[in-house]
Amino acid sequence: MAPGNKTISGGAGRRRSSIKTLCRRSFLTFLFALTLSFWASTLLAQTTAKEYRIKAAFLFNFAQYVEWPPDTFKDANSPLTYCTIGDDPFQGMLDESLNAKSVGTHPLRVQHLKQAENFQGCQILFIGANEKKRITAVLETLKQSPVLVVGESSHFVQQGGTVGFLSEDNTIRFEVNLDVAQRAGLNISATLLSVAKTVINTAGGK
Amino acid sequence: MYIRNRLIFRPLRSRFAGTLKRVRRSPIRALLASVLLQALWIVPAQGQKSEQQEPDLTKLSLADLTKVQIETVYGASKFGQKVTQAPSSVTIITADEIQKYGYRTLADLLRSVPGFYVSYDRQDAYIGVRGISRPSDYNTLVLILIDGHRVNENVYDGTYIDGEFVLDFDLIDRVEIIRGPGSSLYGTDAFFAVINIFTKRGRDLKGTEVSLSAGGQESYQGRVSYGRQFTNGLELLLSESLNDSKGNRQLFFPEFNSPATNFGISRDADGSRFHKTFVSAAYRDFTFHAAYDTWEKHIPTGSFGTVFGDSRTKSTDTRAYTELQYQHNFEGNWVVDARAYYDWYWYDGVYVYDYSGAGVQPFTLNQDYARGDWWGFGLSVSKPLLEKHRVTLGTEEIFNTKQVQGNYDLQPYTPYLFDQRSSTVAAVYLQDEFSIRKNLLLSAGLRFDQYSTFGGTLNPRLALIYSPVENTALKLLYGQAFRAPDDFEIYYHGVGFATNPALRPETVKTTELVFERYFHKYTSLSASGFYNEIGGLISQTTDPATGFIHFSNSEDVHGKGLEFQLVEKRPSGWEGRLSYTVQDAHDQLTGDNLSNAPKHLAKINLIAPLIPKRLFASFEGQEVSRRETVKEEFVGGFFAANATVFAKDLFGRLQASASLYNLFDKRFADPAGNEFLQRSIPQDGRNFRVKLTYRF
Repeated sequence: MAPGNKTISGGAGRRRSSIKTLCRRSFLTFLFALTLSFWASTLLAQTTAKEYRIKAAFLFNFAQYVEWPPDTFKDANSPLTYCTIGDDPFQGMLDESLNAKSVGTHPLRVQHLKQAENFQGCQILFIGANEKKRITAVLETLKQSPVLVVGESSHFVQQGGTVGFLSEDNTIRFEVNLDVAQRAGLNISATLLSVAKTVINTAGGK
Repeated sequence: MYIRNRLIFRPLRSRFAGTLKRVRRSPIRALLASVLLQALWIVPAQGQKSEQQEPDLTKLSLADLTKVQIETVYGASKFGQKVTQAPSSVTIITADEIQKYGYRTLADLLRSVPGFYVSYDRQDAYIGVRGISRPSDYNTLVLILIDGHRVNENVYDGTYIDGEFVLDFDLIDRVEIIRGPGSSLYGTDAFFAVINIFTKRGRDLKGTEVSLSAGGQESYQGRVSYGRQFTNGLELLLSESLNDSKGNRQLFFPEFNSPATNFGISRDADGSRFHKTFVSAAYRDFTFHAAYDTWEKHIPTGSFGTVFGDSRTKSTDTRAYTELQYQHNFEGNWVVDARAYYDWYWYDGVYVYDYSGAGVQPFTLNQDYARGDWWGFGLSVSKPLLEKHRVTLGTEEIFNTKQVQGNYDLQPYTPYLFDQRSSTVAAVYLQDEFSIRKNLLLSAGLRFDQYSTFGGTLNPRLALIYSPVENTALKLLYGQAFRAPDDFEIYYHGVGFATNPALRPETVKTTELVFERYFHKYTSLSASGFYNEIGGLISQTTDPATGFIHFSNSEDVHGKGLEFQLVEKRPSGWEGRLSYTVQDAHDQLTGDNLSNAPKHLAKINLIAPLIPKRLFASFEGQEVSRRETVKEEFVGGFFAANATVFAKDLFGRLQASASLYNLFDKRFADPAGNEFLQRSIPQDGRNFRVKLTYRF
């Protein structure tokens, strides 16, 4: 069709449309600037809500296959405490999954710690991928405390974490560093170890 | 010359000189075609509340947990899979976002989806996707599924996204928008996209919920729902909704600015009301759904040559279905899905005509109607095979027992059309997802549909999904899709109109390259380029020998485009989406650009937690560039914005939201179809809604 056939609105309309073009350009510039800034931040680990529901279920299970040193709990009814650090990577799903549940005689409790200092009261500590930078410091602070430290960053167990989640073929697997567990006085059952993808155990030679 | 526009016939007005003459006179360069472009996106789908079937994972053993799939999208392959492994570009919108953005209808939601745009003509809302929005096409080029049930009806093949959408929007748990051809799994209508909607379940309500909202244009809506999961495993959800709106009480259309037509002012003729009922019951592997919706809309625009501003002109659409579904995961990851359903569609339009043209009462009421009944069943089996394959085999049969179209004048009774048909569709499909290597996936699908009307059609889809490094996917997609000619297009006849039993399906071949990357657990970026070749678009044609109008496969359209999207979702509650689409579509024969096809679309969506987990503010903005109308003029581009404040769990039980739509009171218009004298229909200015939902 020849452009001449078209009725285009008058001069005022055209002026408006040039302002519009300008607006659009600035909007696009803004968009691409943002895009670039995000490109710059790279930390790998794709996640979904479902992924965290699965991880929460794993954490629930872990407690049934780990024995803490006898003096960990004040008495048989003391809570078993799960802790997360920083922003809750579970977005409430850990609280939901553990709600009103218990392991043995211990009711389960969840604490979301803002800072990583007072986790001596935790039996299971989860360090999300967004707290990756703090892993070394946290592990250092914990040293041999009887805390099952679970993470999801790559090489987590090699860094000294107790249990590390891995994504594999659209499923979640985990690795265990038995050396670390033993140093912390945690007794991990064979059932849990048999499901683990790999077990680091220099002493036992597995 | 051809026009594609079924609406133009709905009140059979061939003898109503005004309208028809207008049509004949209008430069029928058909633009009506449309075509499109679109794109790909990916959302990391966080925060979704429930999956297709969500067992309590804490009851699984450790060994079983290691086998649970991190599924996120279901509709792309008929089984749950990671979005990055889906053979399509996918966007997922959750109930949480629906609340926080204050979406009232599917039209509201789709406006925010990358590559989509919506036009509203004060009777229906039309989806534009990949740069294609055919005027008044009733969204036949998009397939909408509710819990896997096909919503498109069997007379006009339409699917309605405004107030007449079957479900109350509050009952939606999750919407998957799957771009690209889906006919290899779903058959007809899955042409440009499949919109797969999951409803909430009984356990999501945990009791009785009452929701009330009030908004501008004297709009009121109420809903009462009850849902729970009983200890024996039975899950129940019952819901009723009512809505009433006066609409825009005073609309001005300069095209009617003359003393005979009230100087272009249409008063109190834009009202609407609906009544919706939804029932869902689930026990073990069985789920039963029943939905009913009736929607009445007054038409203020004088479309179809009706008397301008006469509030008696209105349409009533009623849609209902019942469905029984059986879904089971057998030992060894076999998934079986079987379903049987019965569906109804009723359309009644009352159109007021002044045949004499004298402008004096009484005018004639013309009644236009359609009745559709159909039932069908489907069976699909999905199973992992030989370690590296996941095979899905399925069949579907649809029996259109009643497809009726009719038109008559009420007083004096003068029948113009009564056409009753029945037809059948039978289909088989096969899909294989083959993990060639650990980082290379091939998804291949093929579906054959046999129609009693035009015969058979075979539609393949191939997707190669390569993941060069972790969290990055490169997808090469090719697919073909079709839309079967509908009952209206084949059989509508009457004075001046002829049937065309030789009508063939319109087809599209889409090639698409998608890049998806997750940067950070909260951030994803995707980019896609696509090319569509659309053949045999069904358009209205005038036979030069007889002067009769009929539908024929007369247009070929090619479209291409690029799309970019960035999504960020943080546990703190911050969320955002940015997208940009550039697209171009034109008629192959004439080289004309398509009408209602914006070259640029840009969108921004942002949710900010004002008080963590309690109070949220959202903002969304949509830029749509100028669009050509069917009369070859232009409507200007616009930037429209909406804002919502949403408070969650006030006093533990109350959700409250307040929204402003068209925040900056931007004046803009959407291109109108050929049944309008107006080249474009002005859209509403700033509007508001407040909503309270209380859970007992």
